Amino acid sequence: MVRRVLALPSARIAVAVLAVIAVLAALGPLLAPQDPLATSDNTLAAASGAHWLGTDYLGRDVLSRLLDGSRVSVLGSLEVALTALLVGVVPGILSVYLGRAFEWITLRLADTLVALPFLLFAVAVVALLGNGITQAMLVTGVLVSPLFYRVSRAATLAVARSQYVEAAIVSGASLGWVVRRHVWAKVLPPIAVALAQTVGVGFVIVSSLTFLGIGVQPPDPTWGGLLASDLGYLSHRPWAPLTPALLIVVTVWACNLLADAVRDVSGEAGRALLNNRRARANRLDKADPAPAGGA
Amino acid sequence: MSTLSEKLQTPVEDTARRARPPAPVLSVRDVRISDRAAGREIVHGVSFDLTPGRTVGIVGESGSGKTLTCRAALGILPAHFEVTGGSIELDGRDITGFSPAEWTSLRGSTISAVFQDPASYLNPSIRVGAQVAEVIRVKQKAGRRAARRRAVELLRAVHLRDPELVCGQYPYELSGGMLQRVLIAAAIAAGPRVLIADEATTALDVTVQAEILDLLADLRERTGLALVVVSHDLAVVAQLCDEVLVLRQGEVVEQGPTQEVLHHPRHEYTRLLIAEHEQYGLDRFLAPEEDA
Amino acid sequence: MSIDPHRAPAAPVLSVEGLDVHYGPRRRRRRALHDVSLSIAPGETVGVIGETGSGKSTLARTILGLVRASAGSIVVDGEEVGAYGPRRWRALRRRGVVQYVFQDPLRSLDPDLTIEDSLAEPLLVQGVPRAEAAGRVRAFLPRVRLGEELLDRLPGELSGGQRQRVAVARALVTEPRLVILDEPVSALDSANRVQVLEILKELRADGVALVFISHDLGSVAGVADRIAVLYQGELVEVGAAADVIRAPRHPYTRLLVRSAPTLHSAPADRAEREALRTLLHS
Repeated sequence: MVRRVLALPSARIAVAVLAVIAVLAALGPLLAPQDPLATSDNTLAAASGAHWLGTDYLGRDVLSRLLDGSRVSVLGSLEVALTALLVGVVPGILSVYLGRAFEWITLRLADTLVALPFLLFAVAVVALLGNGITQAMLVTGVLVSPLFYRVSRAATLAVARSQYVEAAIVSGASLGWVVRRHVWAKVLPPIAVALAQTVGVGFVIVSSLTFLGIGVQPPDPTWGGLLASDLGYLSHRPWAPLTPALLIVVTVWACNLLADAVRDVSGEAGRALLNNRRARANRLDKADPAPAGGA
Repeated sequence: MSTLSEKLQTPVEDTARRARPPAPVLSVRDVRISDRAAGREIVHGVSFDLTPGRTVGIVGESGSGKTLTCRAALGILPAHFEVTGGSIELDGRDITGFSPAEWTSLRGSTISAVFQDPASYLNPSIRVGAQVAEVIRVKQKAGRRAARRRAVELLRAVHLRDPELVCGQYPYELSGGMLQRVLIAAAIAAGPRVLIADEATTALDVTVQAEILDLLADLRERTGLALVVVSHDLAVVAQLCDEVLVLRQGEVVEQGPTQEVLHHPRHEYTRLLIAEHEQYGLDRFLAPEEDA
Repeated sequence: MSIDPHRAPAAPVLSVEGLDVHYGPRRRRRRALHDVSLSIAPGETVGVIGETGSGKSTLARTILGLVRASAGSIVVDGEEVGAYGPRRWRALRRRGVVQYVFQDPLRSLDPDLTIEDSLAEPLLVQGVPRAEAAGRVRAFLPRVRLGEELLDRLPGELSGGQRQRVAVARALVTEPRLVILDEPVSALDSANRVQVLEILKELRADGVALVFISHDLGSVAGVADRIAVLYQGELVEVGAAADVIRAPRHPYTRLLVRSAPTLHSAPADRAEREALRTLLHS
C-alpha cells in the first residue's frame, strides 16, 4: 500500500512537504534564531539581515514566531485527526456487528454531531473548560468524528455482507476472526484517505481558532495568530500575511494531495489508473520507436 | 469462393424474401483487434457474412474475443482496444473511419445489441416505458404520444404480458427475463437490420433463457432481422443459428453450418464442447432418442 | 440388534423434514419454503433444481444455519440443529462436517488474501496449527488440479475456472461429509465446467455427500444420482436423475427439460414449451 502510494509523483511531493512541516514542528522552537516573545523598539520592520521576515507590531522577530508557532499548529491538527479517528472508527466498525440498538444510537449520535457547528461549539467549550488548545482540539476532533464513523461503517458494511465473510462464518469463524482477517484490510484505505483529509481540515481549524484567539494565550505564537496580527497592520507591511498564509495553504494542500493519492491507488480506481498509464506508455513506444528526441 | 452463409442460403424454406440474391447486411472480413495497454493482438482474424433473416453464432470461453468482435461491429470497443486489421461492412458501408455522428445514426436503426445483465442498461429511476419511448423519440423523431403508443406495441411484440402495466413500472419491479425483453424492445425500436445478442441469456434462468431464445427466433421469422448470437454455450448457439464460429484465444478454430459442426467437428476444442453436453448435459439422457 | 442386509447401514448425512421458512417482518411475512423433505445418504449426489426465487438458495442457507426455519427439522450428521444458537452452530461448523461452495468464486474469496491464506482459513478456524494447515493445503491441491505456484497469488490474478476450483478446495480441505454447492459451474466455460464436474464425481466416490444446487437441469444431469425440483418454494418432483429427465411428471419439470439447451433440440420443442408456459401460468 505505502509503496503503491509513493509510486505516484503527487504523493511523493505531498510526503516531502509534510516531512518538512513535521521537522518544523519538532525542531521549530530550537531553530528559532531569536526569542519569539522578546519585544523590541524596532516595530513593523521590513525584512533585513537581522530579521529575515521583519518584525511585528511589538518588534518581535516574525521568523522566530513562525518557527515557534509551528509546533502548536501541527500538534493541534494531529490531535483533531487522531481524536476523530478513535472516536469515529471504533463505533463505526462495531455498529455493523453489535446489533440494532447500538447501531441506532451511534447513528443518531453521529447525526447530532454533524448538526453542531464545530467552531461555535469549540468556542463554547473553551469558555467552559478554560482557554487551552488541547481542550479546543479534543472537542473539534469529536465533532468531526462522524466522517470517520461513516467511512468506516460504509466500508465495514460492504465487507460484512460479502460472500467471503459468509464463507468464513460457515467454516466456524468468530466475529473477532472475521474483523481481524477480512474487515481490517478493507476498512484501512478509506480511513487513510479520511485521515489525511482531516489533518488538512484540522490545520484550517487550528488556524481559524488561533486567528480568533481561542485556545492560545496571547503572547504564544501560532500561524493563525500571526496571520491575524499581520492583517491588522496591512497598511504598514502589506506582504507580511503571505508567509503564515502560505504555510497554512501548502500544508493543507499537501494533506489533500496525499489523501487523493491514497484514494487513487486503492480499489477499482487504482487498477484503472495503472492500466491507463501502461496504455499510454505502450502507445508512446509505438508512435515514437526511436527513443532519441524528447518532448 | 462464396462464403458459408451464402452456401447455406437455400430458397426452399419459406418466403420469397429468402430467394432474393442475398446482400450481406453485416460483413466481417479477417478482423483483427489489439489491446494497446498490453500491446498485443487479441483477435486474430474473424470473418463471416450475415444476410437478412439468418443467424450467425459465435461460441467461445470468456476472453476468447467473441465480445470484442461484436463491440468492434458496434463501434464501441473499450478504451485501449483498436481494430488493427481487416474490415467490417455494415449495410455495404465500411465502418472504419465512421465519425461519431455517423455511428449515432447507424446504431439502433441499422445495428443494435443486447447484452448480459440487462438491469445495468436501464436507468433505475425512470419507468421502463419512458425509456423505450425515448429511443423511439430520438431515433424516429416521433412525438411524445406516438412514441408512447409505439413503446406499448413494442413491449407487446416482445411477448410481455400486460405491456401497459409494464410501461409504468420501474426496472427494479421487473425480473431479469422481463428486463431483457424490455431491452430487446428498445433494441428493435428503430427497426435495425442486425441484432447482436451478446450472452444475452447467460444470467437468466433456463426456462427464461428458452423464452428469450424463442422470442429472438420469432422476431427473426417475422421481421427478417439478422442475428449474431454470442454465447459460451454451444447448445444455445446450436438452437438458433445457421452458421457457427468457434473462437478460442482469438482464433477461429472451427466455422461452418451448425449441423456440420455438431456432427462432424474437426477441431479438438469443438469436440470438447460437444462432449461436455453429451457426457454431463441433458444430451446424455436425451440425445440417443432424438438422433434416431 | 440385527442388521437388515437389504438396506445400507449408513445413516443419512442430512435429513430435512417438513421444512418451512418465512421471510420478512411479521406483517409482511412471505413464504420461501413450504413442507420440504429431503434426505441424503453418504456418497450420494442430489441435484436441487429451481429458478430464481424458487427457494433453492434459502434451502441451502437454512441447512447451513444462516437462515432460521419456522417449522420442520434439520438433522445434520446425526445432530438436530433446528434449535441451535450461534455458539452450538459454531462448534458444529468447526468440526468441518458441512461446507458450502458459493456461486460466484470471485466474490466468495477475499480479494486481499492470497490463495494459500484463503485455503488455510477453514483449518485455522478449527484450531489446526499454521504449519500443519499449510501442509494439508499443499497436499490437497492436486485433487482440484491446482499447482502450488498459485498459492502466492491473489484471487484477481486467477482465471475463473481456477478461482472456482480454489473455492471448491476451500470447502473440501476440512474433509467434510456434506458439501452444498450453489451453482458451482454456472459461471464457467466448458473446459472448466467439465473439470469441476469431474472433481465432484471423484468426491462422490470418496463417500462425500453433495447437494448440487442449480437453475439448470443440464449442469447437474451428469453428476446427480437423484434430482429434486423446487418450484415456488415446494418440492414438486424428486426421483432418479434419468427418470426425472426422461419422463418428467410435473409440468414445470417438463418445461425445465424442454428449456435446457441441448445440442439436438427439435423445432417442435418450441411449441411444447409455449403450451407448458401457458399451462403453468394459468
